[in-house]
Formats: sequence, C-alpha cells, structure tokens
Amino acid sequence: MKKILTSLLVLFFLSIGYSTQAKSIRIALAEPPSDELAAFFVALDRAKANGLEYEWTAFADEELAIQSVLSGQMDIGFGTPYSAMQKSKAPIRIIFQLSKLKFFPVTTKDYSKLEDLDGEPILLHSRGGGTDSIANVIEEKLGIKFGERSYISGSANRVAALLANQAKATIIDLSNKNKIMASHGDQFNTLPMFDVDASDEALFANLDWIKANADSVDIFVSALLSVYRDMAKDPTMVRRETNPDGPIGELPEEVLAELDGFYTDAVAGGLYDVDGGGEKAAKADMEWYSKAGQLEGDLASLDINDFWYLKPLNDNK
Amino acid sequence: MINRSLSLKLLSAILIFGAWEISSRSGINYAFPTFFESMSALFDMIASGLIFKAYAETLKPLVVGVLISTFLGVGIGVWVGLSEKFDWLVSPIFIIMQSAPLAALIPLIIMAYGIGLTSKTFVVCIMAMPVIVLNTSGAVKNTPSSLIEMSKSFLASEREVILKIIIPSASPVIFAGLRLGVSAGFIGAILAELKITPTGVGDIISYSRMTADYPSMYAAIFSIIVLAVIFLNVLERIEKYLFAGNNKGYIS
Repeated sequence: MKKILTSLLVLFFLSIGYSTQAKSIRIALAEPPSDELAAFFVALDRAKANGLEYEWTAFADEELAIQSVLSGQMDIGFGTPYSAMQKSKAPIRIIFQLSKLKFFPVTTKDYSKLEDLDGEPILLHSRGGGTDSIANVIEEKLGIKFGERSYISGSANRVAALLANQAKATIIDLSNKNKIMASHGDQFNTLPMFDVDASDEALFANLDWIKANADSVDIFVSALLSVYRDMAKDPTMVRRETNPDGPIGELPEEVLAELDGFYTDAVAGGLYDVDGGGEKAAKADMEWYSKAGQLEGDLASLDINDFWYLKPLNDNK
Repeated sequence: MINRSLSLKLLSAILIFGAWEISSRSGINYAFPTFFESMSALFDMIASGLIFKAYAETLKPLVVGVLISTFLGVGIGVWVGLSEKFDWLVSPIFIIMQSAPLAALIPLIIMAYGIGLTSKTFVVCIMAMPVIVLNTSGAVKNTPSSLIEMSKSFLASEREVILKIIIPSASPVIFAGLRLGVSAGFIGAILAELKITPTGVGDIISYSRMTADYPSMYAAIFSIIVLAVIFLNVLERIEKYLFAGNNKGYIS
C-alpha cells in the first residue's frame, strides 16, 4: 500500500513538473506528414527560426485531432471543427485557413456534367465530411439529387475504387485528380464545378490558450503568412526550403520530386489564400457549412466571432 | 426484497455511471458528455427508431459471422481435439488468425472481398472463430481418460463416446470459448463498420463524431455494450439449459 501511494505521489509530481515545464506548443496534425503538409512544415521551420518551440503529433483522422484540442491534450489542431465549435461548449476558434475545399467530381465517360449525376450513386469520403458537404451543396445549387452515397475515406482509395470499377462517380482532391487524369484521362472526366472559397483545413485552438500564448501564435501566423505569400510568387520555394532532415524531407524521393508540380498546380488552382483566410474565409465557411448541414440555425444569426479569432491575422496584415 | 446479487449489480452500475457523470461534469474534456446527456441521446435515437434501423444493419454481419463461427468453430474444434493430424494441420491457422493485428489486415480483406457484407462477416469470423476453435479443441483433448475408458467398457460406440462423454465434459470450456468468441465478434462487427464502410451503429458512431454530437456517439457505444452483455447472458442461459449437470458455479 505504501509503495502504491509513493508511486502515485511521484507520478503526480512528475505530471505537475511536466505541465509547467512544457512550453513548446503542441500541434495536432490530422494526418501523417505528406506532400500536402510540406508548406506547413516550411512555415514551422521559419517560426522556429524566430524562436517558436513546437512539437507535433499526427492523428489518424481529423476528428481525433479535434478531440485532442477539445480535451486540452494538444494546443493547436488541424481541421474544420465547425460543428464541434457550435455543439460543444469549448471556446475553440479558427485562426488561419490552411487550404480551401477544392475538390473535383471525377466520373467515368458516361457523364459529362454535374446534372448527369442526378439519381446516380456517388462515392464520398465520409458521412458529414467535406466531400459529403460538397455533394449537399451541389444538390442544392443544381436542384439534383444524387443516388446512393457510399463512403471510402481517402482520395487515393476512391481513385482505386474508380479504377477497379467499383464506382462510377466520386469527388477527389486536386493532386489525385491530376494523377488519375494524367494516367487514365481517356477513361474519366473531370466535371466542371463552381468555385468554392470555404476552408478544408484550418488551424484552430482554444481561445483561452490563444490569448495566453499570444506571442507564440503571432510568430506562427506571421511565418505561415510569409510562406503563403512567397509560395504564391514561386511555388518551388517549398521544395527548396524543405528541411532534408525534417518529417517532409525524409519522405521518399518520388514524393519529394513531385512537390514542385503539386504546389504549382495547387497555387494555380487557388487552393491557398495568401491572407490566411480571415473574414472573407470565415463568411464563406459559415455560408458553406450551413448549407452543408454542419452548422445549425439561420445563417444571419451566426456570428463570425463565435468561430474565428481574427486578431493574429489582422495584427500581421 | 430484492436479492443480494441483484442489489450488488445495481450498486456497481450506480457507482460506474455516477463516476461517469461526475468526471464529465468536472469538465475534464469538452468532448466527453455526461451520463444523462448520453442517455437522453440514446432515448432520442430509440424514439426516432434510428437505433433500430442501425442495428438491423449491424446485426447482419454480426449474426451471420457469429453463427458461422459457432457451428464451424465448435465442429472444427472437436475434430482438432480428436485427431492429432488434423490438429497439426489446422491449429496453426487459428493461432495465426488470433494473433494477427486485424485492423492492419483490413485493407487486404477489402482487396479480396470488396466493401460489402462479405468483408464484414469475414472480419467477425476472424475475431470470433480462433478462440472458439482453440478452446473447444483444448477442452476435448482434456476429457478425463477414465470417463472414456468407462464408456468403452460399457461398449459405447465411437459416436456415443463423442456425444455422451466428450462433448458434455468439454461443455464448460466450450461455452467459455463461445462467450469470448461472441464478445470478440461484437468487437469485429464494430471494427468492420468503422474501418471498412460506415453502416449501422458504426455509422452512428463515426457520423456523430464527425458532427461533434458526442452524446449520440457515446450513446451508440453504450448501446452496443449493453447488447453484448445481454447476448452473453442469453448464452449463459442456453448453457445452463443444455448442460444443467455441468454447472460449475460460474453461471450467474
């Protein structure tokens, strides 16, 4: 009994020591480091050069990353936690738009425009997820109704399903659309779609934490902005500035070789906002996620300040 | 006057749910709803019939998988226990199945069997069958030899030895294996619904997580646990009914 009590006490003091000592910010990534996160890691390196200490943990999916921030185990998370912000009592706010919801309907040659998909089955990421919301908004804008929706997570997996003839229509991200159109352009169509300004990935944190760590947040946001601006001028800077010993630099050579192409396409495709989103993105998000059914209530009654904390961005304009 | 075992069970439930309620109210985590919030979400789902629709979907692979595993598993297990050659041939497969990290194998299963009912049933079987087979074969091998000798001296045929001596004597361990196998099958069914394609209860869990409706998420998880417990109790009743003389005291 005495032993157990002593070890509990030791654990307790250790944990106190840990929590007071840990000053570096803890970032919850929604996926393992991949080509899509290269620009983000370049920004982290720049922030580190300006004195920001950080550590990151990759989660298996976005919801786990959101939950880890809600529980306070992580400081900054990745994703678009609009329903979590509205439904949980947590004071979570978005501070930066990392990428826009640029996804593309890709189908077999049987279809040539979105209207053709009326009543047709479609393959999406997950119920309630980003591509599901795109499908909802397509239905609403064009007055069509998709047939049965089935779900496979990951654009690459949906491409595999498309190639294996398990689906005829899906919605996938830019890089996978480019890959499949380059290799199997004769079998598939990319259907023309309207422009979307809403966020796919954004950085968010607990408001109390943001205010208590204003300096760190400021360094981080300014580093992100500088990278996004440089990248808009020259997308190849991402590859050049990638730390060869970092999580991105250690990816296989084939992935690194495609970074230039990926970022050139992404910048040209308008995936990134050079101003980090801000008010414009917040408005687009609220409109989008209301239509998509992730935000409840009348659009007019939603307040931007309940979802975004714009100060760090405004200070860095 | 309620009997003592029931009152103890109720007390243990109150303690656990009370701890749940208190820990959530203490605000350790915004993503952790209170017990009452979760229960009210569960009643909403029951009232709207959503949960029944979900279970109609989830029970398909679960029931099919558990039935296959039970009959095939006990059959194979008895055979493995009786024949040394068959033991060498088959046991390694089930030992490997039991120790393989299933979640990592799911992409392979999808590749082989697609994303439909077959894959999910297969996942349930992989989870449930090894423990049933291995327990059954172990129990059959451990039949007291004096009983078998006795039956032979009474001129019992081979079939009678199996049906009247070996299986009744092995029944407690076979049923222990069945209970473990069925609970593993429940895990497999939910795992399949979360990892292959979200349908049924797995869909409620992942969708309510996606929309941050945490009370519904915990309600769905709670409901599957309750169902598993009920199912295991039913299994105990069946055992008690089939092998009344063999009750070694653990059937409550």
